[in-house]
Amino acid sequence: MFDFDATLPLMAVQFLLLTALLNAVFYKPLMKVLDEREDYLRSGDTGSKDKLAKAESIVKEYERQIAQARRESQDLIQKAQAEAKEITTTKIATAQQEVQSQREAATQEIEQQKAAAFATLEQQVDSLSRQILEKILDPELVK
Amino acid sequence: MEILGALTFLNTYTLAELEVGEHFLWKIGNFTVHGQVFLNSWIVIGLLVIASLAATRNIQKIPSGIQNFMEFVLEFIRDLVRNQIGEKEYRDWVPFIGTLFLFIFVSNWSGALVPWKLVELPSGELAAPTNDINTTVALALLTSLAYFYAGLKKKGLSYFKHYIEPTPVLLPIAILEDFTKPLSLSFRLFGNILADELVVAVLVLLVPLFIPLPVMALGLFTSAIQALVFATLAGAYIHEALVDHHD
Repeated sequence: MFDFDATLPLMAVQFLLLTALLNAVFYKPLMKVLDEREDYLRSGDTGSKDKLAKAESIVKEYERQIAQARRESQDLIQKAQAEAKEITTTKIATAQQEVQSQREAATQEIEQQKAAAFATLEQQVDSLSRQILEKILDPELVK
Repeated sequence: MEILGALTFLNTYTLAELEVGEHFLWKIGNFTVHGQVFLNSWIVIGLLVIASLAATRNIQKIPSGIQNFMEFVLEFIRDLVRNQIGEKEYRDWVPFIGTLFLFIFVSNWSGALVPWKLVELPSGELAAPTNDINTTVALALLTSLAYFYAGLKKKGLSYFKHYIEPTPVLLPIAILEDFTKPLSLSFRLFGNILADELVVAVLVLLVPLFIPLPVMALGLFTSAIQALVFATLAGAYIHEALVDHHD
C-alpha cells in the first residue's frame, strides 16, 4: 500500500503542468471576464447613481416651485378676501348711513305732520269747546 | 485479501473484487510507475481541460451553459482562496489552490462514480488517482514547497525568523510542523479515499446492488469534503507563511 516509486515525482510534475495549463485556458480568461463584468457593473452603478441624484434634485426643484406657487396663491386668496371684506364693510356702512338719514328725514316729517295735526286739533278743540260753551251757557255770555 | 477474493466465486457474476496494493506497473528505465494511476489521472486532466476549453472557447459577457457553470466553479474557488489568503495576495494563488481542489475533487468523484472495474487491466484496477499514496504525497509536498516559496518570496530569508518567534522554545515544534503538515495532508486524503473505496467494495462484495448505495452517496460527500479540506488547508498554510507577524 505504501510503495513509493517514480509515480510521486512524475505526478508532481504532471500536476504542475496541469496548473500551468489550466492557468492559461481556465483561470486567466475567466478571471478577466469576471473582473471586466465587475468593472462594468460598478461603472453602470455609479452612472445610475448620478442619474438618480439628478432626478432627485429635479424633483426637489419642482417641489420648491410647487410650494412657492401654493404660497403665492394663498397670498392672492387672502388679499382678495381682505379686499372683499373691505368692500362689504364700506358698502354696509354707506347703506346704514343712508338708512339712518332716511329714517331721520321720516321722523322729521312725522314730527311736522304731528305738529300740524296738533295745531288743527287745537283749533278744532277751541271751536268745539266754544260750541259746547255756547250750548251750555247763554250765547250772549260767551261773547 | 485472498480469502476475501476467494469469496467472489460464490457470485455467478463477479461485481466486485478487492485488490489492494496491486499495481499496473510500467517500467521507465530503472524506474517503475503505477500505470493505473497515470491512466486515470489523464482522464481527470482531460475532463478538466475539455471543460475549461469549452467554457472559454467563446467567452460572452452574459454567460450561459458551460461558461456559466465554470464561472460558478471559479467563483467558488476564488472565494475559498480569498477567505484563506486575504484580499491582497489571493490572486497569485488561485491557480495553484484551484487546481488542487479541481484535480482532487474530480479524481475522487471519478473513483466513486465510474465503474472502472469494467475496464480490464493486466493487473491492478483503475481507481481514483487520489487513492494512491504517491499522488497524495506529491500534492502535499507541492503544497509544502508552495508555502515555503510564498514565505521566502515575500519576506526573503527573514521568513525563517518565524521559527524562533515569539520564543525560541517553540523551535522544535515549529520545525516539526513543516513535517506534519504534508504528512497529515497526504494521509488524510489517501486514507479517506482508499477507505471509502474499500468500504464500498466490501459491501458490494457482501450484498450486491442496493445496500451499498447509501455508503456510495456518503462516499461522494466525503470525497467532496476531502477536496475542500485539502484546498482550504493549503490556502491556510500559504496564508500562514505570508502573514506578517510584526504588524
